[in-house]
Amino acid sequence: MNTSIPSDTAPRKLHPLVDMHVDRSAFEDLERRAERNGPWDDWPLYQLALEAEEANLVTDFHALRCLSLLPHFEPMPHQIDTARRVLHEMRGRAILADEVGLGKTIEAGLILKEYMIRGLVRKALVLVPASLVLQWVRELNGKFDIPAVAQRKAYSWDNDIVVASMDTAKRDPHRQTLLDGEYDLIIVDEAHKLKNKRTGNYQFINELRKKYCLLLTATPVQNDLSELYNLITLLKPGQLGGEGDFAANFVADRRVPKNESKLHEALGQVMIRNRRSDGGVEFTKRVVTNVPLRLSAEEMALYEGVTDYVRKHAASESGDMASMLSLVTLQREVCSSRDAVFLTLINLFKKTAEDSPLRARIWELVELIKQIKSNTKAEKAMELVRSLNDKAIIFTEYRATQEYLLKFFREHDLAAVPYRGGMNRGKKDWMMELFRRRAQVMIATEAGGEGINLQFCHHVINFDLPWNPMRVEQRIGRVHRLGQTEDVQIFNLCTLGTIEEHIVHLLHEKINMFELVIGELDEIIQQFEKEDNLERRLAQLVLETADGEELRRKIDGLGDTLLETKKRMQLENAT
Amino acid sequence: MNSKQIHRFVVSYLESKECHFIEKSPGGVTVKLSPDADRALSNRPYYWSFVDRTGTPPETMTYRWSFENPAMSDRMNASPVSYVMTESGRIIQEDVYFGSRRLHQLFGVVQQSGRCVTLFEEPPRGRLDPLASQAYTAWLGVNFKVGYECDMKREELYQWGISLATGVIDERFMDKLRERRLTPRLPANVHLLKNGLSLRKGMAQLEAALERRLRAADFSWAMEAEARRQDELERIRQYYVPMLEHMNHPDQSEQKEAVTARFNQREAEIDWQYRPRVSVSVLNCGIFHLPGID
Repeated sequence: MNTSIPSDTAPRKLHPLVDMHVDRSAFEDLERRAERNGPWDDWPLYQLALEAEEANLVTDFHALRCLSLLPHFEPMPHQIDTARRVLHEMRGRAILADEVGLGKTIEAGLILKEYMIRGLVRKALVLVPASLVLQWVRELNGKFDIPAVAQRKAYSWDNDIVVASMDTAKRDPHRQTLLDGEYDLIIVDEAHKLKNKRTGNYQFINELRKKYCLLLTATPVQNDLSELYNLITLLKPGQLGGEGDFAANFVADRRVPKNESKLHEALGQVMIRNRRSDGGVEFTKRVVTNVPLRLSAEEMALYEGVTDYVRKHAASESGDMASMLSLVTLQREVCSSRDAVFLTLINLFKKTAEDSPLRARIWELVELIKQIKSNTKAEKAMELVRSLNDKAIIFTEYRATQEYLLKFFREHDLAAVPYRGGMNRGKKDWMMELFRRRAQVMIATEAGGEGINLQFCHHVINFDLPWNPMRVEQRIGRVHRLGQTEDVQIFNLCTLGTIEEHIVHLLHEKINMFELVIGELDEIIQQFEKEDNLERRLAQLVLETADGEELRRKIDGLGDTLLETKKRMQLENAT
Repeated sequence: MNSKQIHRFVVSYLESKECHFIEKSPGGVTVKLSPDADRALSNRPYYWSFVDRTGTPPETMTYRWSFENPAMSDRMNASPVSYVMTESGRIIQEDVYFGSRRLHQLFGVVQQSGRCVTLFEEPPRGRLDPLASQAYTAWLGVNFKVGYECDMKREELYQWGISLATGVIDERFMDKLRERRLTPRLPANVHLLKNGLSLRKGMAQLEAALERRLRAADFSWAMEAEARRQDELERIRQYYVPMLEHMNHPDQSEQKEAVTARFNQREAEIDWQYRPRVSVSVLNCGIFHLPGID
């Protein structure tokens, strides 16, 4: 009894292939206590401990146990199916390549949860763009009861489940800490950033020691088949053969594969791509309403004045695109609020040489602003919000407009909170909470990439419209996403007789972008922008064309080009 | 575990820790924790070290635990912790469901505090001659968990016991114990037989028996995992070996070294991921003195 043997003696062979390891530390504890005559634990607790083990016991290899542990959460069938395939067919190394909006995060969460329950994953690392860190932490904690923490300090890495930004992780000293460690599971979101194997990101992920690995991307192939090859090689070197084999067997041209059925088979073993067209995913409807309004005489006078100024000035700038764009911005700002245009004019005034004749012109415009006593659009917006009698998010392009609206609503006893890109993460979260709990309105200047999910709200008011349809889509996407249970009402405030009217016409009537399937739009715009930048093209049209009718025709022409792109793509996808 | 089982589980724990129940209803309990339970559950190590250092009488926490499954919509709208203030102080409200943090924590706590016991069966009252002494045999009861692991995992429990007098093994030992009344104190009119086996020998025999049982089990899962492992190893060999063979130029020696390192790392990862193995752990164990000579 006096000799003590280490808890894990040499493993014993149970079968030619299988070693048996024994952990008998509880028994050693018993021996020690027996020698000292106690202390002893309670019999009820002894039984409860066994009961807890029985409840947590993983009785078979295959069932998805995580579902019974998430009683409050019902993943969609394609998400459950994806989790199963990754666990049982791909053995935990996979590319999740669902199209945008189908819930890749949820699939990854299910897989992580299942591995944790089974004791196959204890340490996991989630690498994502900085702007998505908190969203991931919130999803893993809120939906999956997974105690994930955001990496903030060097010691954060000691936690079992860490979410960190890729950019932080790959920099020393963090880089070395991570390379010295071992991870049961690594999840990389926005993994298309790993397509180039010469980049630091790629090499970093390649070097990390990992058992299972999930790469999440909505766009596995963007330009070049070799990018897909690199991504897969990161997971499973050799899956598509050596580099030379891949080129010889599967590539006809950079973007054109050959032996497609064979390629698909090889891909199917490591990649899952659910498509919206596969069905099964129901999004609620989008109902778009244009809210036309007439500017007051004073506001219209300002608009005319600015337009006149822009056109005359554009001629003199001849060709300097950057300053031409900023001129068009002036016109757009008038359609939003006098506050927005006022700031820009003042800055313009300061930049103009003191003896320039332009100064006087600009001052005239400022005088016109002073004539304006009320904001027709803001009044309309308030009327709209009151009639909705429900939560609404108002988007504007301009900080000054945002400030004005906040003040205006406050003066009329309408609770509103701001949201903008410059806020730090904590403040953004706080604003979202306030909107959820207390305020009827959120006024936001930014929608993109920041991971605000506002499914509890289903009214979007576009106070003014960005000229890039992708940004419009991002706005709507904050609200119209999986988890939204109501139809989403979208209102476009549209000042008649201004360029805004033309833009609303293009986006809404011509290309009908508001009702495109989620994700379809980004593909169309990406195709189009291979040749031209859409926003710049629009600005050019506006500056070149004085006549309203003619402008309408030209914008229609642009719309037709987009529609053709869409048709071409639908054909390509069908084959 | 359904909500009824969870309810019973939580209440048994709280009772064993002598907590004070303020309210019990079919859907939940409101409970003021005992100091012991508070230390284990309230996540306040600083507070407790303060109490220990200063000798201040401790103020324990009060919880209202609801055992009904929360709806997702409620969860998204609720803050993680919610409070109600009452005359007797603050009550923290939580949902305790299978998968919740709180239940997970409770599982961990009982596993730590229900690890080792020594118990005696209470002799039936009245029937026996009060002057005669009854012979008791010591048993070593051990609950094993066996994990079959490769890239997947499955587990089994073995709740066995061995008589330290005779070496007889009972494979339904926990069931046998559950039917009896056990007490931590040696009852009167009882004498303990001398053990034929030391604790360690008993344990060794139990393990040997378990090992025999496991050897006879189905190993097709392991053979399949091994096939997958070989398959994966072959795949990366096809990728790396030709690549390395082409790096013969002296200038490439550094590159070759790097690729070799990557190759070895991949091999180790595949091994880690797929190699079949069985792990046995002792969950808890105890010495049980039962009447009779077996």
